[in-house]
Amino acid sequence: MLFTIIIPLLFAIFVPAFAKWKDKIHTGYFVLLVPLSIFIYYLQFIGEDFQPISASYSWIPSLMISLSFYLDGLSLLFVLLISGIGTLVTFYSIYYLHKSERLGSFYVYLLLFMAAMLGVVLSDNIFVLYTFWELTSISSFLLIGYWHHRAASRYGALKSMMITVFGGLSMLGGLILLNVITGTTSIQAMIQQKDIILESPYLPIIMTFIFLGAFTKSAQFPFHIWLPDAMEAPTPVSAYLHSATMVKAGIFLIARFLPIFVLNEWFFVVVSGIGILTLCWGSFMAVRQTDLKGILAFSTISQLGLIMSLLGIGTKTAIFAAAFHTLNHATFKGSLFMIAGIVDHETGTRDIRKLGGLMTLLPISATLAFFGAFSMAGMPLPFLNGFYSKEMFFDATLELHDNPLVGAQLLGQAIPYLAVIGSIFTFIYSMYLVFGTFTGKAKLDQLPKKPHEAPLGMLVSPILLVIAVIVIGLFPNLVNQSFLAHTAEAISGYQIEKNIVFWQGFIPPLFMSITVVVLGALLYVTRKKWSKVYTVIPGNLSFNRVYDKIIVGVETYSSKITNSYMNGSLRRYIALIMTMIVVTTFVTIFATGGFQIKTDDLAEVSYAEIFVAVTMALAAIGTVFARNKIAAILILGVVGYGLSLLFVIYRAPDLALTQLVVETITVALFLLCFYHLPNLRKTDDTIGIKLTNGIIATSFGTMMTLVAISAHSSKWFPTISDYYVETSYKLGGGDNIVNIILVDMRGLDTLFEITVLGIAALAIYGMVKLRGEKEGE
Amino acid sequence: MSNLAVLPIVMPLIAGVLLAFFHNKLPLVRTLAKVLTIINFLVVLYVFYYVINNGSVVLETGGWIAPYGIILVADIFSITLVLTTNIIALATVFYAPLTLSKKQEEFYFYSFFFLLITGVSGAFITGDLFNLFVFFEVLLMASYGLIVLGGERVQLRESIKYVLINLFSSMLFVTTVAFLYSVVGTVNMAQIAERVGEVEQKGVLTTIAILLFFVFGTKAALFPLYYWLPKPYTVPNPVVSALFGALLTKVGIYSIIRIFTLIFVYQTTFTHDLFLWIAVFTLIFGVIGALSTNNIKLIIAYNIIPAVGFMLLGVGILNETAVSGTVYYLVHDMLIKAALFLLIGAIVHLTGTTDLKKMGGLIHHYPLLGWMLFLAALILAGIPPFSGFIGKLLLLQGALLNGEILVVIIGLLSSLLILFSVMKIFIRAFWGEENKEIQPNRKMANKLTIPAIFLLFFSVLLGVGAELFYPGVKNISAYLLDPEIYIQSVLKE
Repeated sequence: MLFTIIIPLLFAIFVPAFAKWKDKIHTGYFVLLVPLSIFIYYLQFIGEDFQPISASYSWIPSLMISLSFYLDGLSLLFVLLISGIGTLVTFYSIYYLHKSERLGSFYVYLLLFMAAMLGVVLSDNIFVLYTFWELTSISSFLLIGYWHHRAASRYGALKSMMITVFGGLSMLGGLILLNVITGTTSIQAMIQQKDIILESPYLPIIMTFIFLGAFTKSAQFPFHIWLPDAMEAPTPVSAYLHSATMVKAGIFLIARFLPIFVLNEWFFVVVSGIGILTLCWGSFMAVRQTDLKGILAFSTISQLGLIMSLLGIGTKTAIFAAAFHTLNHATFKGSLFMIAGIVDHETGTRDIRKLGGLMTLLPISATLAFFGAFSMAGMPLPFLNGFYSKEMFFDATLELHDNPLVGAQLLGQAIPYLAVIGSIFTFIYSMYLVFGTFTGKAKLDQLPKKPHEAPLGMLVSPILLVIAVIVIGLFPNLVNQSFLAHTAEAISGYQIEKNIVFWQGFIPPLFMSITVVVLGALLYVTRKKWSKVYTVIPGNLSFNRVYDKIIVGVETYSSKITNSYMNGSLRRYIALIMTMIVVTTFVTIFATGGFQIKTDDLAEVSYAEIFVAVTMALAAIGTVFARNKIAAILILGVVGYGLSLLFVIYRAPDLALTQLVVETITVALFLLCFYHLPNLRKTDDTIGIKLTNGIIATSFGTMMTLVAISAHSSKWFPTISDYYVETSYKLGGGDNIVNIILVDMRGLDTLFEITVLGIAALAIYGMVKLRGEKEGE
Repeated sequence: MSNLAVLPIVMPLIAGVLLAFFHNKLPLVRTLAKVLTIINFLVVLYVFYYVINNGSVVLETGGWIAPYGIILVADIFSITLVLTTNIIALATVFYAPLTLSKKQEEFYFYSFFFLLITGVSGAFITGDLFNLFVFFEVLLMASYGLIVLGGERVQLRESIKYVLINLFSSMLFVTTVAFLYSVVGTVNMAQIAERVGEVEQKGVLTTIAILLFFVFGTKAALFPLYYWLPKPYTVPNPVVSALFGALLTKVGIYSIIRIFTLIFVYQTTFTHDLFLWIAVFTLIFGVIGALSTNNIKLIIAYNIIPAVGFMLLGVGILNETAVSGTVYYLVHDMLIKAALFLLIGAIVHLTGTTDLKKMGGLIHHYPLLGWMLFLAALILAGIPPFSGFIGKLLLLQGALLNGEILVVIIGLLSSLLILFSVMKIFIRAFWGEENKEIQPNRKMANKLTIPAIFLLFFSVLLGVGAELFYPGVKNISAYLLDPEIYIQSVLKE
C-alpha cells in the first residue's frame, strides 16, 4: 500500500522535467499513468471474500508514529474513488488545460494531492493521518490559487486554507487527546478500546475537536463558505478535489471513528443535525446561484450534508446508504462538473443567465448533463443510481433508534420532513441547472465564443462517469456484496445485508420521492414568483461576511491592539515592565512568606555613614529634578564620590581608589562632550503621568529594598568566600584577596569583562567612523 | 579531556580578536571568517560527539575546584544548543558578504559576529551564575555593535531602546545574583541548586527566583516584557536580524529552562503555574503582533514572541514529554527563525522594500526563493512532517497529560494564526500579477537563498528524521528533570 502513496510523490519530482517537453506532448499523458495504475491495483481487492489488510513500516517509533496502513472496505471505496476519478480528471485536464499554462506546477500539485488523499484514507496511525490531512489542505490551497494573478483565486485559496487548517488543527487536538487517553496511535486499536474513550471525561471535547475537523473539511454548515470560493480553481480540480474526493475526507473521518462515537447519544444530534441543516441550506442556496460552478458547489455542500446526516443516524440502512451515496455522488457530480467545464470552455462563460438553448449546439454534453442531473435529483427511474441512494436515505430517516436526549427525539421527528424539503430544492436546482443551460432560447450574442461541441477527448471522462451512473442504476447489486457491503461493514463494525431493488412496493419512501418530484417540479416552474425570498434569507446574514469580518478584523484589531502599547516610547515600555515586575514580586514575596527581617547581626551605624548615605540619596533624587544639564552631571558625581567614601569607611581602599578614578573620568568625559549633549527638555507630561511614573518608581525601589532586607536576613549558609581567604596565599600566591579573585580565581570573568570593553570600543569607533564618512560624502 | 568545554568559547573569541586586526583587508577577512567558522563548527561537532558518548564535560577553570572557581559544564543540553548556534553561524557567515556593505564588513562585522557567538556559547556552557551574567554582557555588547553597524538614523533611534532596556535587565540581574549570594552564599549553579534544595526553596528564595525569571524573561521577550524586541530587530542588516532572532532570545529562554529545572523546582505550584499563564499570554500577544503589520521584517520579528511562549509552556507544564517538547522546539526555532530572517532579508534586498503592499508576482522572478519561503512558513506553523510539528506535538501531549485543555486550544489557534501571518507574505509578495518592469536578479536571489536552504535542510531533517533526534532529546529532558545528575557531575560528592 505504501507504494501507491509514494509513486505519486516520486512522480511529482519528475513532472517538471516532463513539462519541459509540453509543446510536443501534453504533460498530462505522463501523469495519467499514475492514477490509472493505482486504480487497477486496487480493483483486484473487490470481491465478496475481501478481508481487510494492513501493512506497517517503521518511521518514528519513539513517538509511536509509524507508517501503518489499513485497507478495509471503507478505505477501498475511497482509494478507488481517488484513483478512478483521478484518472478521468487527469485525462479530462489534458484537453482542458492548454499547453501554454504552467502544466508542470499543475500536475505537481495534483500528484501531491493524490498522494495526500490516498494517505488520509489508508493511514491507521493518527499522526500520519493528520500529516496527510494537512497536505491535502496545502495542495488544495495551491490548486485553488493556480491562477494566482486573479484576486478571487488568492482570496479563495487563503479562505479554504484558513478554514480547513483550522479544522485540521482542531482534529489534531482531538487526536492527541485520544492518544493520551488510550496510549495508542492506531485507530483500529482505539476502536478496540472504545470503552475507555466513551468513559473519559474528555469525550465531549474529543468529539467537538474531531467533528470540527470533519465539518470544516466536508464543508458543513457554517463552514461551507470556503467551497464556493474554491471554484476559482481550474474545473478539473473542482471536479476532483472539491466534489469527489477531498471534501469527502470529513465524511471519511466521521465514518472511521463511527464505531466509537456512535455509542454516545450526542453523536446523532450533532452529526445528523449539522448534516441535515447543511443539506437544506446548501440546496436552498444552490437555486440562487448564477454561476454553473456555483450551483454545483452548493449542490456538493448539500449532498455532503446528506451523507453526513446518514452517518449520524448510524443504523444499518443509513450506513449502507451513506457508502452508496458517496459512490453515486462521485459519479454524477463528477460528470456534471466536467460538463460545466465544457460549457465554460466552449462558450466562454459559466453565467447561467447568458446560457440557454445549447442542446442543439452541444448535443452530447446536453445528454450527459441530463443523466447526471436527473440522477442527482433522485428522479425515480430504474437507470439512475441517484434514485436508489436517495430512496435509501428516506428509508433511513424513518427508522431512527431510541435516544434518551430530548433534542434527539425532536430531531428524529423532524428529519424526514427536512429530508424531503432538502430534496425538493435539490430537485429544483438540478432542473434549473440543465434546463437553464440547454433548453430555451439560445442567446448567442451574449456569449464570448461561438459554441460548438467539445472535442471527443474532453467528452470521454464524463461519458464514462455517466455510463457508471446508468450501469449502477440498472444493476445496483453489482456494487453490493462485492464492494459496498464491505464498506458498510467497515464503517459500522458488523455485517450489513442489503438487497437493492428498484420497486419496493407502495412504502413511505416512495411517497416521499413522489412528493419531491411533484412539489419540486411545481416550484421549479414558478420559481420566479418566489425568488424574492432570497432577499430575506439569507439577506445580510451570510457567513461569508462573518469570515471576511474575522479576517479583516484580525488584521485591523491586531494592529490597533499592538499599536496601543507598542507606541515607541521607551519610558512607557520601562514603566510597563517595571509595573509587571513590581506587582508580581510583591504578590510573590507575600504569598510565599518571603519577607524577613533580622536585626541581630547588624553592625553599628556611625554618623558618618548616615551622613554619606543621606547625601547620596538626596543627590540621586536631585539628579532627576535638575533642570540644567551641568548641574545634573555634577549632582550625579556626588553619588559616585559618596560611594567611594563608603568604601573608605568600610576599609576597602583599593575599591575606593578605583571608584574615584572611574567617577572622575566619567564626570570629565561628560563635561568634555558637554557641548554636543542635547539640552534637557522640560517634559510636557501631565501630572497624572508624572504621578503614575513616580508611584511605579517608588514601589520598585520599595520592592528592591524589601527583597534586599529579606535576603540579608536569610543568610542560611556559609559563603564560599571563606575558602578564598584560606587559599588566597596558599594557592594563589598573593596577599591581596581581591587581586587573586580578579586575576585567578575568577579570571574568566575578568577576561570577558575586558572583552566587553574591547567590543564597546570597537563598536563606538565603528559607529563614529562610519557615520563620519557618511556625512563627509 | 575536560578542556573540551572551553573550546566552543575560546575559539570564536580568538577569531573575533584576530579579525579585528585585519579589518580593512576584506577578501582576507571574509575567507578567514568562513574558514574559522567551519573549524569552530567541526570542533564543536567533536565536543558534541564526545559529550553524547561520554557524558558531561566539566572544566574547573584555572584549576580552582568547584564550587569555588568558575565551572564550565558542557552537558548534553548546552552542547546541543552550542552546536545549533554554530550551524546558524555557518549559514550566516556565507550570507553576510551578500547583503552587507563593504563598509559594514570593514567596521568589524566579523569581530562582533564571532564575539556574539562567544557570548552565546559561553552563556550556554557556564555553570556559574555570575559568569552567566558576564557572558550576557559579552553577547549584548556584541549585539550593540551589530545593531548600530551602518549608523543609520533609524538604527540609532531603535538601538537606544534596545540598549537601555537590556541595561536595565542586566542591572536587575547582577543585583539579584547578589541577593541570592546573600542567602545561599555561593554563585556556583550546582551548589545553589543543592542548597536551595536543602531548605526547600523557603522564605525569600521564591521571590528571588521570580526576579531572576523576569531578568531572563526580558531577554527572552516574554509577555509583557518584550517591548524592546520587534522594531529594533528590523533595523539592522538581515544577517544581523537572523543572528538576533535565532540566538538572543534563546539564551534567555535557555536560562529560564536551566534555572527552573535545576534550582527553583520546589514551589512549582506557584512559579510554574505563573509561567504557564505568562506563556499563554505571550502566545496570544505575539501572534496578535505578527498579524498587525505589513512590514515583512516586523512580521517575522513578532513571530519570535509566540515561539518563546511555546517553549515556556513546557517549563510551566514540567513533565518529561513537555520538557522534551520545549527542547525540541528550542532547536527547531533557532534554525527556522534564522532561515526566515535570511529569506526575508533576501526579499528585502531584491525588492528594496519591506512593505508587502508594494510587492507582488515575485514567484515569476524568484521561484526558488518563493518556494523556500513557503516551506519555511509550513515549518514555522508546525505543519507535519517538519521540525515544528514534533516540538508542538510533544508540548501539546505534555499539556494534555496534565489536563491543560485551554493551553492546548490556544496553542492550536495560535498555530493557525502564525501560518496566516507568514502565508500572507507568500500570497501577497509571491502571488499576483508579475511586475514586468523589474529586472530580476535571479542569480543573486539563488545565492541569497542557499544559506537558508542549508538551515531548512536541518529543519526538515529534524522533522522527517525525528527518530534520529527524539531519543536524544528525551534523554535531555530526563536529564533536566533530575537535577541530581547535574549537581553530582559538578560537585562530585
